Amino acid sequence: MTKLNYEQFEAMLIERHGKSAHEKLKSATVGIAGLGGLGSNVAVSLTRIGVGKIVIADFDLVEPSNLNRQQYFIDQLGTNKVAAMTENLKLINPYIKIDGHQARLTPDNIPTIFSDCPIIAECLDKADQKQMLVETVLNKMNNVKIVAVSGLGGYGRSNEIQTHKISDRLIMVGDSTSGIESGFSLMAPRVAIAAGHQANAIVELILES
Amino acid sequence: MAVLKINGEDKKFKNAVPATLKNLLELLKVDEATVVAEINGQVVPRGNFHNTILQDGHKIELIRFVGGG
Repeated sequence: MTKLNYEQFEAMLIERHGKSAHEKLKSATVGIAGLGGLGSNVAVSLTRIGVGKIVIADFDLVEPSNLNRQQYFIDQLGTNKVAAMTENLKLINPYIKIDGHQARLTPDNIPTIFSDCPIIAECLDKADQKQMLVETVLNKMNNVKIVAVSGLGGYGRSNEIQTHKISDRLIMVGDSTSGIESGFSLMAPRVAIAAGHQANAIVELILES
Repeated sequence: MAVLKINGEDKKFKNAVPATLKNLLELLKVDEATVVAEINGQVVPRGNFHNTILQDGHKIELIRFVGGG
């Protein structure tokens, strides 16, 4: 098997992104709350481009119903998502630092788990959990920015998924209507479009800060 | 006539604005469990919706979440 040592991997990233962008990405820490369709795709994107550290959190195990859109493999069924994701991300970029928390997020533990993160990606599944996370970050974590998602179900309508800056600390991605409670199913392409918007907004925050 | 600016658009009320944020969400048929609300740029915790008094001219942002991730 061909290997890339740390210096070679870093040289590849610098060649791709330029030294200045690479240094900013390398010194960034990003929180990813939830490792489902959104979180697993955001994590893969940020890992590939050389973000230095990610803090990942999820309470769940990899299930068969995840495989239509989430970045796990059949032989990982039954493994906890934090461990499975860590394994997959390290295959992509062995040099990324990963702080994993197998935990259900609550208003009490969110500020502690993500205490190192100036930017957090909201990647939860249920509407009330998304509400809880965004409210907690905006209220309890001074200056922390959050990129949240609402509306990514179904297929087609690619261009209806949009990124909107609501305030200096809140960016919203999605079409704001296509929820699972309205009968939309979740499919890899449209979930990945939303996750791509989310990761892209995070890169912009990192590079333009 | 009273006005609330909700998500950038004026919403007019004949007599007075709804008494509380909770009343407004009920009027708009919005499930409060799925909304992050800001009044004049300040986030209102969901637990305080019922005792957050609205006033004519308030700027309100209602960030609504639907499920899926």
